[in-house]
Amino acid sequence: MSPKARAVTVLLTPFFVLFTVVMVVPIGYALWLSLFTEQQSGLGFGGTQTVFTGLGNYLTALGDHAFRDGFLVLIGYCALYIPLLLAGGLALALLLDSALARARRFFQLALFLPHAVPGIIAALIWVYLYTPQLSPVIGALKSGGLDFSFLSPGGALPAVVNIALWEWLGYNMVIFYAALQAIDRSVIEAATVDGAGAWRIATGIKIPLIRSSVVMVALFTVIGSLQLFTEPLIINQASSAALTSSWTPNMYAYAAAFTRNDYGLAAAASVLLALAAAVLSFAITRLSQRTPRSRTKGRTA
Amino acid sequence: MSRSWSRTSVAIAGATAALAVLTACGGGDPAAAGDGGHVTITYWGWAKGTKQTVDAFNATHDDITVKYEEIPSGGAGGYAKIANAVKAGNAPDLVSIEYPSLPEFVSQGSLQDITQYVTDDLKKQLLPQAVELTTLGGKNWAVPFDAAPQTYYYRKDFFTQHKIEVPKTWDEFRTAAAAVKKADPKARIGTFFPDDPTTFEAMVWQAGARWFATEGDAWKVDTTDPATKKVTAYWQGLLDDGLVNSATSFSPAWTGALKSGDTVGYLGASWGAGALKGLVPDQSGKWAAAPMPTWDGKPAGGMLGGSTWAVTKDSHQAAAAVKFATWMSTSPDAIKARLSSGDSSAYPAAAALRPVAKKAFDTGFYGGQDLYGLFDGAAAAIKRDWAWGPTGGTTNTTLKDAFGKAADGNGTLADAVRSAQDATVRELRKRGLKVAGQ
Repeated sequence: MSPKARAVTVLLTPFFVLFTVVMVVPIGYALWLSLFTEQQSGLGFGGTQTVFTGLGNYLTALGDHAFRDGFLVLIGYCALYIPLLLAGGLALALLLDSALARARRFFQLALFLPHAVPGIIAALIWVYLYTPQLSPVIGALKSGGLDFSFLSPGGALPAVVNIALWEWLGYNMVIFYAALQAIDRSVIEAATVDGAGAWRIATGIKIPLIRSSVVMVALFTVIGSLQLFTEPLIINQASSAALTSSWTPNMYAYAAAFTRNDYGLAAAASVLLALAAAVLSFAITRLSQRTPRSRTKGRTA
Repeated sequence: MSRSWSRTSVAIAGATAALAVLTACGGGDPAAAGDGGHVTITYWGWAKGTKQTVDAFNATHDDITVKYEEIPSGGAGGYAKIANAVKAGNAPDLVSIEYPSLPEFVSQGSLQDITQYVTDDLKKQLLPQAVELTTLGGKNWAVPFDAAPQTYYYRKDFFTQHKIEVPKTWDEFRTAAAAVKKADPKARIGTFFPDDPTTFEAMVWQAGARWFATEGDAWKVDTTDPATKKVTAYWQGLLDDGLVNSATSFSPAWTGALKSGDTVGYLGASWGAGALKGLVPDQSGKWAAAPMPTWDGKPAGGMLGGSTWAVTKDSHQAAAAVKFATWMSTSPDAIKARLSSGDSSAYPAAAALRPVAKKAFDTGFYGGQDLYGLFDGAAAAIKRDWAWGPTGGTTNTTLKDAFGKAADGNGTLADAVRSAQDATVRELRKRGLKVAGQ
């Protein structure tokens, strides 16, 4: 083995060991579990027997409208959340980057701070703020003539999006801000000399130049959204009126495994969700790669 | 646990030989039984006062040491934890399981048949209804602990001040509910808990429904019988007319309403007396308890929750675990220790313990009322024919989701029990069980 090959082996082994133990093996186990179901006989008090069911669990999951509705919820969530996240994150980053900003470090830290709060704590805090009898916010809204219930079927989606925004806006703002800082200042100076105002510079120069960061954030957010679990679960525990126990596909899998003891169905639902995530990642990556390339081509032509 | 066990050898005073055979069959571990040995068992539970009970046991027993780990209550994740531990092969020896969930654990094969340890002598000491609920398919699967008869708690000061009669029947309850609302437009007589189907199930149990029954080796599921329909329509009416609050049980919203006086009653069970005392300590002396209203004014009741102790499938210490469980359920020292925590008002299934419990529970919060005397009547009135099915998780999750919608005006309680019926039958069939008459 050449020294280079040895170095490659040594450096990559830890990664592949961990990757195998925490990724490949569990996924393989889930695939295996998803092919079996548990059967009982008599009145069912004699314990269970594990039976091979082929794709039976997959058909059950796909045939269950609670599971399918979960994907509709995710689509609605992404449609509401991602534009707000991108627009909000960009706006804040541009403000920080502009000449107008004062106390940059303070705002950077203050906006980033919610991200340091674990999702489950954030959800608990927000559920408190959503609970009519307790929340000062709901009280204030009510006295202002705005009677909105976050813990109702119509309010659940905005409630979850709001928590997610609170958690992730600052984080993504920092990514955008870092990208903006990396822009060659001479380009911006040139634009200023040419008479471009702050708005024109932001929309015509800065945003196009950090396009790859925006696409990356969008991609990660879509993939992350598929995993939506903690926040709605906490809301469900606080009020089953707001959303059901299988509101998102992840919650469906959780309920199948831990309240219905149907591990095969839970595994099948998880595999289907993973497949959806894989297809989506692939599509978005292809899409985001193609556009800049075609643009470069256009420019050279 | 297993290491200290194999090293020191297993021995339970009085049952050595039987145990040696059992552990050798069950485990295959090198078990050397001998006198004077000592075993350690692990126990998972969450009931109030459990730590005090375990400490008292360990202080007085040399042959068995109990290691107690507190887990979240069953519905809040405790059952998932137990089920996972059993699957993973690292479950504790003994676990707490409430009556409604016992059949599901048995049907998942998570528990050991402990018929040989549940002697006639033990059964005689316990409330017959509790023994029936832990006997499935002719075998004993758990040692019953408490009986949890339904009980109605109300703010005596509010009722007296506004001259509202304490309701004895459900008709009177509705009248009283309207009177409470009239006396104080913000106040309500009680709360509908969409998240807790077992409260509703206790109501239909009281009304004479039988959701689960067996016919030969087939299950009969009937969640839409006339008794259930009567209860469903009644509660739908209370909800529609805004006569009760709707809130998640034990949530900040519910306790907030109790604290502010917006909720002046609680339809609970015997264990609720201790819980309520812990939730609103500054309302001491203002509360009282009454029997649950009934349909015809004659005593009738269901059970709401209630704990049993069950031995997990792979435990090698079944004898020791049952011995400890029996001690918790039948020893005066155990109930004294448990109630010394102050927030437990468990009503023991063992008749001999009730006077002890009565003495140990401080009823100052209820103006010195004889609560255990009240529980005695309520427990005797628990209807005999109710059984829980093996699909508790599915039935209750479906109900919970649908109750949530109904409480918010989307759909009705009648829709909810109908969807529970469908989901339950579907789940039974999926597991390969027979369903009669469907």
